[in-house]
This record gives sequence, C-alpha cells and structure tokens, in this order.
Amino acid sequence: MYQSESVIRNHYNNINDWLDQMTSKVILEKNAEAETHFRNIGITFSTNNETVRERIIPFDLIPRIFTYTEWLRLERGVIQRAKALNAFLADIYNQGEIIKANIIPKEIIYKKKSFEPSMFGFSPPRDIYSPIIGIDLVRTGPNDYFVLEDNCRTPSGVSYMLENREIMMRMFPDLFHNNRVTPIDDYPTRLLQTLMSLAPFKCENPEPVCVLLTPGPLNSAYYEHSFLSDQMGIEMVESTDLFVEGKYLYMKTVDGPKRVDVIYRRIDDEFLDPLCFNPNSVIGIPGIMDVYRTGGVNICSAPGAGIADDKAIYIYVPSMIKFYLGEQPILDNVKTWNCEKEQDLKYVLDNINDLVIKEVDGSGGYGMLIGPKSSKSSIDEFKTKLSTNPKGYIAQPLLDLSFSPTLIKNQVEGRRVDLRPFCLIGEQAQLSSGGLTRVAMNEGSFVVNSSQGGGVKDTWVLAE
Amino acid sequence: MLSRTAEYLYWISRYMERAETTARLLDVGYRMSLFPNPSGYNNEWESVLSAAGAIEGYKNKYDTIVQRNVEDYLFFDESNPSSVYNCILNARNNALVVRTSFTPESWLAINKTYQEILNLKEKKFSKSDLPDLTEWTIEQVNLFRGSLSSLLRNDGYNFIFLGLFIERADNSARLLDVKYFVLLPKPQYVGGNIDNMQWSILLRSLSSFRAFRWAYDGNITATKIADFLVLNNNCPRSLSFCIQNIVKHLTNLTCSPEKVGRIYSNLKDLNTKIQEEKIETIVEYGLHQFVTQFIRKISSVDNEIHKEFFN
Repeated sequence: MYQSESVIRNHYNNINDWLDQMTSKVILEKNAEAETHFRNIGITFSTNNETVRERIIPFDLIPRIFTYTEWLRLERGVIQRAKALNAFLADIYNQGEIIKANIIPKEIIYKKKSFEPSMFGFSPPRDIYSPIIGIDLVRTGPNDYFVLEDNCRTPSGVSYMLENREIMMRMFPDLFHNNRVTPIDDYPTRLLQTLMSLAPFKCENPEPVCVLLTPGPLNSAYYEHSFLSDQMGIEMVESTDLFVEGKYLYMKTVDGPKRVDVIYRRIDDEFLDPLCFNPNSVIGIPGIMDVYRTGGVNICSAPGAGIADDKAIYIYVPSMIKFYLGEQPILDNVKTWNCEKEQDLKYVLDNINDLVIKEVDGSGGYGMLIGPKSSKSSIDEFKTKLSTNPKGYIAQPLLDLSFSPTLIKNQVEGRRVDLRPFCLIGEQAQLSSGGLTRVAMNEGSFVVNSSQGGGVKDTWVLAE
Repeated sequence: MLSRTAEYLYWISRYMERAETTARLLDVGYRMSLFPNPSGYNNEWESVLSAAGAIEGYKNKYDTIVQRNVEDYLFFDESNPSSVYNCILNARNNALVVRTSFTPESWLAINKTYQEILNLKEKKFSKSDLPDLTEWTIEQVNLFRGSLSSLLRNDGYNFIFLGLFIERADNSARLLDVKYFVLLPKPQYVGGNIDNMQWSILLRSLSSFRAFRWAYDGNITATKIADFLVLNNNCPRSLSFCIQNIVKHLTNLTCSPEKVGRIYSNLKDLNTKIQEEKIETIVEYGLHQFVTQFIRKISSVDNEIHKEFFN
C-alpha cells in the first residue's frame, strides 16, 4: 500500500480513507461477523482429531488492490507460463524435443517420481494436461513480480478467493460503490466451460457430463470440492460412486448407471486406479486409466501433470517459454540454485546464511530453512542434509516480499503477502480477475501458508 | 442423482426428525415431573426412554432412572445414537457431503445448528434449562424444514421427505406402542387425573395437544385420541398421514418406475387398510397388534428403499 515510508500508492487512497473512519469497535464487530460467517458456511479446515473444532483461516478485512495496468501484465505473464507448461507436458510425454535440443537434461525429467511413464505416447484432448494452474507470485518492488511456484496438479484456494469477496461485499457494500472492483464470481462458470471443452473424443454428448472427484470429507480441501461442484452444478463423487464397464466410466445413480465424460479430480495420481498405480489403494477406480487412454473419459488434470510443477523443473520454465512459444518470459523466476549441480551446491553451502533452502518435494512451508532467520544448529542440520542428498533440495535468495496493510489487534500493520491467481486453459486460456492473497500474520514472518499461521485477504483488480 | 446422495438426503431428514422427537419426549418428561401424584411426583422418564428407543442403552450406562441422567443421555450423550446431539452431528456430516444437492439455506440451517449445539454442549446446563433446549431444537428443525420449501421438486426432494415420513411414522408408532394401553376402553368410565395426564403425554409428545381440541368437539375420549393419532388424515403426525405421504413421495420419484412399483406393492395393503378401517374396530381387535405390525411394515419399507435405491 505504501510507496515509501509515508506515501500511499494512489489506488489505495480510498481504502485508507475507509480505514480512517472505522472505529476499533466496528473492526472488532466485523471481524467477529466474518468469523461467524465462515464457520456457518463451513469454509473450515478438517482436523483429524474429532474433538477439536474445525479451524478457520484468519481473514483480514483490508483488501489487496491491483490496478488495471498492473494486472494486465500479470495476466499476460501467467497465461504465457501456463501455456508453456502445457506445451512442456505434451512434449515430454511424446517427442521430447526440449530434451533433444539439450535445454533440459533428460535425467531430471524421466527419473522423477512425478513423471508418469504410462502417459507416454498418449495425448489428452486439445493436448491440455493441466487445465487449472495456480501460479504463486510475489512482489518485491514497484513492478517486480516473481513466480515463486507453479501448481499444475490440483491447486486449491479458489473457494477462498470467491468467499473472501462474498463476505467483503456483504459487510462493506459501500466499498464496492466507491471502488470499481472487477467481479470474479463467474469463475465457476468458466471452470465448467473449460472442463466441458475438454471432453474426450468418444463423447457424443454436446453437453459433456462433468464430475468432481474428491477423496472425501476428511480431505482438508473438502469444502472447496463441495463449493465448486455446487457452483458448477455438477456431481461431487467419491471413487466408490464410479465404476468402469466396457470402455466407459459410469457413476451409480438412482436411475441406474450414468456415463461420465470429464472428471475434475481432486485426488492424487496414485489413488486414481489401483490397477495402474497403487495396488494397495482402497480409493481408486479399477480400470479408469484404460478408459482414459481409449478416449472414454478425460481426467483433469492428466495423470503425470505434476512433473511440470516439480521444483527442479521450475528452473527451466523461462527456457520453456522461449523454446515453445518463441516469446520472452513476461514474469521472472526467482533465482534458484539446483543443489544437484556441483557448483550450485558449493555456492549454496558457502552462502547458506543468506539463502532459503527448500525440499524439492516439499510443500506447505514445511521442510524449509530460512537462512537469515535460523539458528546455527538448524543451519548445520541442513548442511548435512544438503551434502548427503543434494538432489533433494533447491535454494533461493530470501525475497523481500511486499507488505500489505493488515489489521493486527485493531492496528494497521504491514505483513508480507503473496498471490495465487488461477489460470484456466481449455478452448481458451483465461485468468481469474483476482486471486488468493495469502498473508503471513506473524510479525516478521515470511511464511504465508495457512498451515503455519497464514491468513487470507480479498484481492481486488480495479476496472479500467 | 448419485445413489449415495439420495441415501444421505434421506438420512439427513430422518436425523432431523428424530432430533425433534427426542426433544419433544424430553419436554413431556419434564412437564410430568412438575406434577404431584399420590406418592410424590410423576415419573414418566422410563416411558420417555422407551418411546425414544433408548431404554436399553440407558440401563447399560446408569443403574437408576433419574431426571438429570435421562436429560443428559437423551440430549447430549455421544454414546446414545439417538441423542439430539448425535442426530444433529450425523445430519450435519451427511449434509456436508450432499450440500451440493440442496439449497445453501438448508446447509446453513443444519450447520448453524451444529455450531450452536457444540457451544451448548460445552456449557454445563442446569435442570431448568431443559425447556430452552427443547424449544431450541424444535426451532432449529423448523428452520431446516422451512429451508426445504425452496428446493427443486426433484427426486432429491422426494428422498428427503421419504426419510422424514418414514422416521415420523416410526416415531409415532413407537410412542403409541409404549402408551397404547391408555387408549384402551376401560370397564367403567374412570376419567381420573391419571388418564388425563397420560392422554396429555401422548398428545404433547406428538405436538398435537392443541390441534386435538380443534379437530374434535365435545369430551375427550380415548377413542377420539386413538382416532386422531392413528387414522386422522389432518393430523400431521398420525400414522395414516405418514403413510399417505410416504406413498406420495415414493410415487413422485421419477427414477426407476419398476423399483418404485416394487416398494409400493408392499405398502399398498397397509395404506388401503388404514384409509378404510374404523378406529373402533382397531381398538377392539387389538391396537397393540396393529401398531406392532405397522412398525414392522415401516421397517421393511425402509429396508427396501435402501436395497432398491441406495446400493
């Protein structure tokens, strides 16, 4: 919000005035109202411990704002990246041109667990492997945006984007009269259109039957699964509701079996088909991969799409953009050292005090070391880890994430934020006009993950 | 509609209905405990437990029947599958899974109820809170039922109401089963306090105390009450009203006419009998047998619905 110590960026002026006229009593009330609302609609975390009440993610009342021009660039950059990632997947599961061109070494692709050999030589509808991509962005200066991470499997958080807006409009209608905020509530419609545009080739139905496949109520994103299927008006199924017969996939309904054309799956690859992946899995649909490969059903995202968001592959995304699209990357990567490479590892070990070390397969802000913020003993611990298993880690500089004004105990304070906008690729590529802003609620913290005390904010894109 | 969705919808309304029944029974027990009888105070807690189908579970847990324990067992106890708490918890867990199949208002009604009962459960309640608790429960169930009015009139709607009326038929019949003897003709007119009290228990627990006076003129008699609770099609908790509605929502289902047909053929006899029979005949030839048979029939219809639609 602030340009420098005391200069407010223009597009935050309205919000600043609004904040000024709110008393702390009102803020307390509105905070309580938001919490009750989230509890009532059930946008909660499941906890495995049934005696503990479900948790809700802290919601901050002050929106984060993007101007139209700022957003335009992000939009182009994210769509560009999402297209390149899909082109990459189509390539490595077929000809492997990018490997032949010596841009990405083949070992780091074909040896990865997230690479799915059974996908080799198969092309999903429209060559789209990952139709829903969440790209995590951080801002470090006036126009300096970096991509922190790509999420090509089943990025979550879009229900927060939509519900945060919903509660803001409900609590502060005047804000939306005084600020021209681009609506986002068409996201579910666009998601459904995207899924329908990815019908498998054997589908004759002009309106393909889509379902959302969930692991069940114990999954921490269960609310989002039911929210999205509700908003799209499609069935939310568990794998026991589905079965394969002949070369098609069906769901069990009260009228008997009904054919399913497109699955928006929110379960991991290994739980899709016990015949193909994990024979011990109890939550799969035996034979679904066979139906998939013969064009009887489409699975979104495609099995094996996860290789594209591997942290070791991340380093190569700018090269992919140049290679597949012949364009310059609009959004930069964060400088990343791949500890698998000898000289990188040496640099990382020498400069570990200034770097952030992340596990290649880690997520949720766990298993990472923030050099400048860590004790000598944990740094030493990571040094040992790095030396024994270098290919398990990457390193990045500690980015000075931008601050966003956040209400902490009724005072406005700066807290670090990131942003996850959601990109849809089907018949066309499009970006949500907003995204999920996550905020590190603890003072001085760099970790925005909800599992570690992160909160969320409404994210505005101002209309032109 | 997914078979699993249909099953969950069916059970949500069963659980909500059961929560109300249990709450009403508690209210009856509470009222009775305020009235003196020759040997102290009335104690209806045992019959309340029987009518709630919870007598065995209760006796496993407690040695003696005392108000405080009955209240706790029927309202909050997690080991009692029919406690108000468990009914709401189960309804909510089912609703979480099928919230896509009914309106956001229905989900909100159930989820708010759940959030509130968690708060109630944390607080220690005192004896005098019971009327508030039952009133609260009935209010919550009404909120849920009200929210149903904006539902699409599709199969999901019919499964919800099938569940509701199967549960209600069962609850009403069980209550009659526990109290049927007070409706039997007496050798001479007794008309004492006890009878009046027993009648009022029956009527109150079926939320029909006032309605009965509006439906029948003149003296209150056992036969009139029996007629009201068994055969009166205007009484929303009578056995005949429940059966009619089960038939209605069953035959309104648009999925699988053959399945509907099979279930209906099993119900037809009971439905015809209940519409044509005179209460005097039923009472004279065995109210008890009639009610027992009715309970058995409802349970077999419930089994068939599960077998045909939910598997």
